[in-house]
Amino acid sequence: MSGAGRPGAGWWLLLLPALVLVVVFYVAPIAQVLTISVTEPEPGLGNYERLFTSPAVQRVILTTLRICIITTAIALLLGYAIAYAITLASPRARGWWILAVLVPLWISVLVRAFAWVTLLRRQGLVNNTLLELGVIAEPLPLVWNEFGIIVGMVHYMVPFAVLPMLASMREIDPRLLAAARGLGASRGEVFRRVFLPLSMPGVIAAGVLVFIFSLGFYITPAILGGGKTLMVAEWIGLQILDLVRWGLGTMMATMLVVAILLTLAVFSRIVDLRRIFGAGG
Amino acid sequence: MSEPKGHALALLSLTKKYGDFVAVADVTLDVGRGEFLTLLGPSGSGKTTILMAVAGFVAPTAGAILLDGRDITPLPPEKRDFGMVFQGYALFPHMTVAENVAFPLRVRRLPRAERDARVRAALDLVQLEAFADRLPRQLSGGQQQRVALARALVFDPALLLLDEPLSALDKKLRAELQEELKALHRRVGRTFVNVTHDQEEALSLSDRIAILNHGRLVQAGAPGALYERPRTRFVADFLGKSNFLEGTVWGPAPGGFALDVGGARLAVRLPDGESPPAEGARSLLSLRPEKVALLSGEESAENIAEGRILAFAYHGTGFALRVETAHLGEIRAILPAWKAPIAPAEGLAVRLGWAADAAVPVQEDAA
Amino acid sequence: MDGAYRSGPAGRFLAWSTALYLVLPILIVLPVALTDQRFLSLPYERISLQHFRTVLTSPEWLGSIWQSFTIALASTALSVVAGTLCAIGCWRISRRATEMVRVLMLLPLIIPSIVYAIGLYRYFGALDLLDRFLGVVIAHGVTGIPYVVITVSTALAAFDPRLEQAARGMGASLSQTLRWVILPRIAPGIFSGAIFAFIHSWDELVMVLFIASRDVFTLPRRIWDGINENLDPAMAAVAVLLILFTLLLLMADLALRRRSQGR
Repeated sequence: MSGAGRPGAGWWLLLLPALVLVVVFYVAPIAQVLTISVTEPEPGLGNYERLFTSPAVQRVILTTLRICIITTAIALLLGYAIAYAITLASPRARGWWILAVLVPLWISVLVRAFAWVTLLRRQGLVNNTLLELGVIAEPLPLVWNEFGIIVGMVHYMVPFAVLPMLASMREIDPRLLAAARGLGASRGEVFRRVFLPLSMPGVIAAGVLVFIFSLGFYITPAILGGGKTLMVAEWIGLQILDLVRWGLGTMMATMLVVAILLTLAVFSRIVDLRRIFGAGG
Repeated sequence: MSEPKGHALALLSLTKKYGDFVAVADVTLDVGRGEFLTLLGPSGSGKTTILMAVAGFVAPTAGAILLDGRDITPLPPEKRDFGMVFQGYALFPHMTVAENVAFPLRVRRLPRAERDARVRAALDLVQLEAFADRLPRQLSGGQQQRVALARALVFDPALLLLDEPLSALDKKLRAELQEELKALHRRVGRTFVNVTHDQEEALSLSDRIAILNHGRLVQAGAPGALYERPRTRFVADFLGKSNFLEGTVWGPAPGGFALDVGGARLAVRLPDGESPPAEGARSLLSLRPEKVALLSGEESAENIAEGRILAFAYHGTGFALRVETAHLGEIRAILPAWKAPIAPAEGLAVRLGWAADAAVPVQEDAA
Repeated sequence: MDGAYRSGPAGRFLAWSTALYLVLPILIVLPVALTDQRFLSLPYERISLQHFRTVLTSPEWLGSIWQSFTIALASTALSVVAGTLCAIGCWRISRRATEMVRVLMLLPLIIPSIVYAIGLYRYFGALDLLDRFLGVVIAHGVTGIPYVVITVSTALAAFDPRLEQAARGMGASLSQTLRWVILPRIAPGIFSGAIFAFIHSWDELVMVLFIASRDVFTLPRRIWDGINENLDPAMAAVAVLLILFTLLLLMADLALRRRSQGR
């Protein structure tokens, strides 16, 4: 058996169940996806050629990137405001703010998408209220388009944006803010020159997290896009389930994974990745 | 020394309450132009609250803060133009040394050229020109402290406020920086208000010390005056070490009075103009250990106490003795090692002696 | 320091609007579920529980709820056992290799479910696990491991490794040390992980869309069909029930954490 310092073989056995499960039932199916993308319908990089030749493929990618960037930007702005409020709130108020962030985080994404449909559709609560008040004469197209997707996605992403930014803001020594004030800075200048730069690591981490989550998002875009605005995840599902074009679907899935890993790799040079995923619990 | 350039600060009945807790109670204090004043007290004595009120971070519950006779109590911190060195320095970690020092000038919208010149001058003042482009975390504690000083002085503040400026440093560095801080004060000639709980630092740095306890100002004065003539037991105890002897006044004596302590009669001489307490009143004396001498052979003194050594310790510069005396209880004495008349040993019979003006009557502190 | 630093009116306004944006749309399903109409709307004349009655007496909805519940229980058990042991092993061994293992365990959080789902569709086809209870349990169990690894690792970070060494030094075997020293200390972390793994499975839709079709028809799947086919108030009733259930689980988690911190 082992001494106190060096763990014995027994401890390695503890890793075994999880390792077997993950390798056999997680890594293997995903490896298969990567393989299919270069073997079907025939071996080679034919599927990847479509990235350069097919306008449909390019349109899906561009739509996805556009929606993801807009979603990330808005989620960061709103999340920053909330994280900022939490950081500066009194301990009592802080509990309520955190509740407002955490409860939506754990409510089913389907329930939330359903709530948005109820609110935003043609005969939905928003349009009906506006019509009754006479603000508009025709129902506004609020859902089953890009606008609806972004409203729903931002709603889903804000809590994820808040957590890393909050962690980073709480590391800022409040004495620095007092020092800046004492040295003659106004409230705006304290924010611009001290608070904002010091919270940037959290902002970047939150941006990476929201962006990679948005890239592969399926349910909300599928429900709120109403099949008219396709994002990558829904497009992949369509290729596999309805059109049975495995090669194209798996190629796009591979590109999705590559894009996510690439984003992580680039930003891991700037921020500690633990900042991003440490907030997952 | 040049004419003091600093400004005068006055606290009038300053009071701060947090709910029922009184952090600062009715403190009135004047700080003269160019003076180095230290607020000294144990933690919870209200000294930091006073400093934060002067800086504008704490709104007083009552009272006023005047700068050159002008009421500044309602001004927000950034409008007061006071330099401040925070505990732990509060250097901005994302800015270089030069950017940190330039910060107060930037928010005051000074033109670039003048800003650069003044930053250079300020870094020159604290001998850190060579470190202008470093980040704070690349500096030692002492260097960080000097950056904080340069940053607090660069905009010619009306006052410099220092919150425990040396507490984060080790003992040796602290002594070095005390000297530097004192020299800096002389060079810039501004009014400094310092907060500390370290009595040695207070004694060596300040022109004047204000001693605080439980939010009240107990005594203020020059370091020597406070040390030699403490007014209360707390001051005598907090500023250095002291023996306390309590007894009944026996009667007046030439230049002072005689005190009966446990059957022994002690002579107490008072400074000119002080009148002795009434006969039969209780009185408490503070006697500094270093004013107690070990008498050899036939040597005599105005006050003598015989006893046995309970314990002793050698401190390099001297011996610290605890002597159990016949009438006065335990007395502590500190003797210079190089002129101790005997080699101390436990149980050794000794005679202690001190002058009539060595013991100072002090008041028992109000609870 | 009371005068030190506070946020400005613009910041406060944005924070409040965001909080309302996060919470209000979720609350809106409650009045909709209580409508007296046959279509999605606010109550016209009175509030009615008819849609809750519809859901709670429908064999389809009840069947799906039961199926989701049993799948979530089974997959949570799988995640908790594998994830806890793995987290303990990584914590105790703590080498570069175990860092890699931990990253591997976090993959399901990083890689989108759609990629995994299409992989499983093909993979389970060959293993005859499509549209089977076991297949869904495995898929949810494996993807639930990261939640357990994270919460248990957090709990272990606060655990003094010398306690384990002391126990081994006094002659306890590995399994005795696990049962009597380590597991009791990290139980709150395990419970938290279990609750998150449960919610993960309970809400999971993307994988189910691909690997289940008829025999396994979970609650999220039925809601999905409901949203896409007939938007009726019964859906809002289901949504309310789901929200209440999630809140219940989160409150249980909060209470457990409070208790473990109180010790």
